[in-house]
Amino acid sequence: MLKPHIGDSVLRHEDARFLTGRGTYVDDITLPNQAFAAVLRSPHAHARINGIDASAALAISGVLLVVTGEDWLKQGFGPIPTKSAVNKKRDGSPLNEPPRHCLAIGKARHVGEAVALVVAESHAAALNALDAIDVDYEALPAVTDARKALEPGALLVWDDIPGNFCLDFELGDKAATEASLKASDHVVELDVVNNRVTAVPIEPRGAIASYDAKTDCYTLYNATQNVHANRDTFAEKVLHVPKEKIHHIAPDVGGGFGVKNGVYPEPALLMYASRKLGRPVKWINTRSESFVSDSHGRNQMSKVRLGINKDGKFQALYTETIGDLGAFCWTVGPFTPTGGSARTQGGPYAFKAMYYCSKAAFTNTMPMDPYRGAGRPEASFQIERIVECAARKLGFDPVELRRKNLIPPTSLPLKTAMGLDVDCGDFPQVFERTLALSDRAGYAKRVEESRRKGWLRGFAIAPYMECTGGGPKEFAGVRFQKDGSVELAVGSQSTGMGHETSMPQILAARLGIDFESIKYRQGDTEATPLGGGHGGSRNLELGGNAVHQAASEVIEKGRKLAAHQFDTDEAKVQFEDGHFFVPGTNQTMTMREAIEASFDPSKLPEGMAPGGLDANTTYERGVISIPNGCHAAEVEVGPETGVVRMVGYWVVDDFGTIINPLLCDGQVMGGTAQGIGQALLEVAHYDPESGQMVTGSLTDYALPRADTMPPMTIEYYEGAPTKKNPLGVKGAGEAGCCGAPPAVVNAVLDALKDYGVTHIDMPLTPEKVWRAIRAAR
Amino acid sequence: MHDFNYLRPKSLADAVAAFKNAGDGRYLAGGQTMIPVMKQRLASPSDVIDLSQVPELKGIAVNGGIVAIGAMTSHAEVAASKDVQAAIPALADLASGIGDPHVRNRGTIGGSIANNDPAADYPAAVVGLNATVVTDRRRIAAADFFTGMFGTALEEGELVTRVEFPTPEAAAYEKFLHPASRFALVGVFVARTKSGVRAAVTGAGPCVFRETVLEQALTRTFAANAVKNIDIDASNLNSDIHGSAEYRAHLVGVLAARAVAKAR
Amino acid sequence: MPRISLTVNGKPVAHEVEARTLLVQYLRETLKLTGTHVGCDTSQCGACVVHVDGRAVKSCTMLAVQADGARVTTIEGLAPAGKLHPMQQAFHENHGLQCGFCTPGMVMASVALVQGNPDPTDAQVRHGLEGNLCRCTGYQNIVKAVLAGAKAMRT
Repeated sequence: MLKPHIGDSVLRHEDARFLTGRGTYVDDITLPNQAFAAVLRSPHAHARINGIDASAALAISGVLLVVTGEDWLKQGFGPIPTKSAVNKKRDGSPLNEPPRHCLAIGKARHVGEAVALVVAESHAAALNALDAIDVDYEALPAVTDARKALEPGALLVWDDIPGNFCLDFELGDKAATEASLKASDHVVELDVVNNRVTAVPIEPRGAIASYDAKTDCYTLYNATQNVHANRDTFAEKVLHVPKEKIHHIAPDVGGGFGVKNGVYPEPALLMYASRKLGRPVKWINTRSESFVSDSHGRNQMSKVRLGINKDGKFQALYTETIGDLGAFCWTVGPFTPTGGSARTQGGPYAFKAMYYCSKAAFTNTMPMDPYRGAGRPEASFQIERIVECAARKLGFDPVELRRKNLIPPTSLPLKTAMGLDVDCGDFPQVFERTLALSDRAGYAKRVEESRRKGWLRGFAIAPYMECTGGGPKEFAGVRFQKDGSVELAVGSQSTGMGHETSMPQILAARLGIDFESIKYRQGDTEATPLGGGHGGSRNLELGGNAVHQAASEVIEKGRKLAAHQFDTDEAKVQFEDGHFFVPGTNQTMTMREAIEASFDPSKLPEGMAPGGLDANTTYERGVISIPNGCHAAEVEVGPETGVVRMVGYWVVDDFGTIINPLLCDGQVMGGTAQGIGQALLEVAHYDPESGQMVTGSLTDYALPRADTMPPMTIEYYEGAPTKKNPLGVKGAGEAGCCGAPPAVVNAVLDALKDYGVTHIDMPLTPEKVWRAIRAAR
Repeated sequence: MHDFNYLRPKSLADAVAAFKNAGDGRYLAGGQTMIPVMKQRLASPSDVIDLSQVPELKGIAVNGGIVAIGAMTSHAEVAASKDVQAAIPALADLASGIGDPHVRNRGTIGGSIANNDPAADYPAAVVGLNATVVTDRRRIAAADFFTGMFGTALEEGELVTRVEFPTPEAAAYEKFLHPASRFALVGVFVARTKSGVRAAVTGAGPCVFRETVLEQALTRTFAANAVKNIDIDASNLNSDIHGSAEYRAHLVGVLAARAVAKAR
Repeated sequence: MPRISLTVNGKPVAHEVEARTLLVQYLRETLKLTGTHVGCDTSQCGACVVHVDGRAVKSCTMLAVQADGARVTTIEGLAPAGKLHPMQQAFHENHGLQCGFCTPGMVMASVALVQGNPDPTDAQVRHGLEGNLCRCTGYQNIVKAVLAGAKAMRT
């Protein structure tokens, strides 16, 4: 019996199966008579497809089916549309959206684009078939850099999209910002690149589709973060079947970080193949395929201008960004460099005026879609780099300059120049706590210790302010069983964050029932009528509050039942700590007793059916919340080789109410590791000549390892639970990616300040650092 | 991976015979390169001859100033060998840093040098220590063994049986890790031997090589300062996104100095 | 097809397998021990680590035929049914896992690490896990778990 509270570090329920090898990921599922699919992917960045001869492949024993783009179009299937929330250009016209079919039609436009699907009796036979398909490619020159793609006369990714231009965007008051820059004592300008990276969840994408002719229904097991939205697109836009005909299930999913959120072509291809063949079809991406067929992220090139007065007060911020979309709009690709990066411009600092504008362009590369943070890490990096740059150029102490410009709590609530509702928080307090945690007093001694070993030591602090996002509605259903168990189904979905623990924890805490009695369901279109899946740090804000709301409904019904039992007025019954009671009497009833009573028709009030405490509810978000916090990093740099070592890391976050500190720490640590990866190691690098992805396998794409990571201290500021939602939560999943890149990069630059090094683009590889030192010498 | 005939000979003679009888045979040592290569279908041999049960390829022996390591000895075994640690600590140290623990449990010295990956660690030790590669039919001097990128002097079907390392007066290996693969972006093996100073470089070029500029400087003074800021010719070195030729050339000097400093 | 006989998680098994069958395929597809995962195709990620004759190996980089006669332990066989090995328990208590996909390999690597070095330092643990990638945890709680697991394994 475990009766947890909000704020307890409840150990995870899901661990029991994950630790013993009993998790069920999609590749662990084997359906009777299943066939195996493999995808033929374009080896070219850009090529005309003059013809596909699959006859040799089809002649291979065990090969069942080859589907080409032409076959696909003949079926009348539709393209996958973008669902970007920003979908118009500045002039109000719709964005330029090329058709994204599940297979390349006529031309392949990036390395890795799906050109054909093969299905065979065995995986090995499917691979043989891939080798045997003869595609007549006519290789074309490619453009892999968005800046080049937007230049006049650039070659076109899409013949009918002039200038490779998807859309432009602006937010803020341009005239006021320009005027404020003009009136500022100094204007500091910096080119900031948010490097192209990819999420690399350790489980590759994969799916199994099974079509049942009797019911004319599909069952799709899919390593996805979002069963409902993807089902809707597959049904309504691609296959043109009623959405009830697709039962979409995400089993255990091995990490997502955004890249499993989007609508990918393969599951739709599998559903078609399964119907055609009358048997289940399974496909698992390889890791190397994943690098060129999982969405990429970041990849923004920005010019940032900061107006600042002699006294160090920030005046205006003006940011112009070019966003690379890759070859398609993908699922919500155009949103990230537009609305996604615009909203949190300026971070936690006070500005008189801000303006953000951007353009997004097509290139012959794998498309962008959200990656942990989707725009907010980019904005955070932009502001923190320009602030650091200003401090260095104008001779301010970087800590002092930040301190001077943080929005004070007395200014809250406020609406930023970017329209963001900042309701609560205490940025200065979070900042000072982070400084105190990082032991500034002992720093000089540590610098000296490093120096004696031949290392340079650097420190930086990076306050951040971001926001949540993702689908604005969430469903939670609570169903009580006669045997005492409780089923909780929620439409948000864990890909590792531990919802199976945190969500029952909220329900158990609210109702005062046994945590262990709760069975959790998620990731299944038949478990919940709607669901927003995972994305935008939305789970506690949406799913958590949906559970909270469902619990409130259960309590309301319970009060009715208890009143009936107590033979009193419903208004007199109160609920606290798992008990219904009437104050001033000895009448009391536990929630457990109420649940039991709800199955006894003799104990039910009029109008309540047996099992009548069940609740099905949809929580709707009002205004997105504002997670904020502060990261601080200490690094050592080896001047001989340029190597960077992370040696200290401190975080104070304001996520509002902390439901489960243990799981929250996990989110911060994981996000920070990905941020450190982006800062020091990771880049999805395309060769500009060939358009090949150079870092297209784990032998070239460097991920953080255990020895990359520094010791970390994490604390929470819990003094400002938001009133925007009943739980007071602000979202925790993506904050690490906002704080870490600027903290790490600025710390390295701090270590190099005696050399006069002021800027290095991410990732800060040893060679880049070494070159910067050498150039400065 | 395409299917193949799998053979597991119990003697050296049987292994060599099996290769002769095969259409397109390949010896399988630890498989840490060979199996990934076959998985990618970059190699599709008709016959795979597993050497794990060949007794002649096993064991570590130290005798008369020679450390002889059987071709099928794993990196973990070399790293943990008290004999190797005592005779040539640099060799045990090098083996302890190859790949990762799981790779070291399977990968073998024979497999590593026969493959001659340009970024592999062992070739640096073989050249740096002027070892002799012993095969089923002859003895090959280190200087003659590595012939180019993934190239060796091994003839068709010729099988490395052991590597004989003369004990140096002092030696050390220093490696700069490739951030993703953890092969050597650059590795430098320095040795002071009775017949002179040797410095072998791996990872930096298409094939392991002796860097005479280093050797000359270290012959004058076997000290870190003698090579720390030395000019290494970058013109024949590798360039990729992880390290330009110029950077690799620079690392050669830095690593050589570090290796000299820790040589024993 | 070659016939192999080996002991997996204490139980003798024997099958005819294609020579090209990887050990991980044999474990997952033939024996239905799906706890061992495949996360990459270049032998980097370590999700497939199992013990062969007591040593940690990447089962994606070993043929099933090479395990003929060997004693193989997978995550399913690390502890008796219904019980957790001290290392599994330590991962649980220290939140050393999130999505769980790298976890079986990570735990098997950690157990082997501690068997070879019963009282490792923080740095030795970090170095010892260089063959295992995790994308969720940032490794902090994994390292904490391995140190706790080592302590539990010593007592």
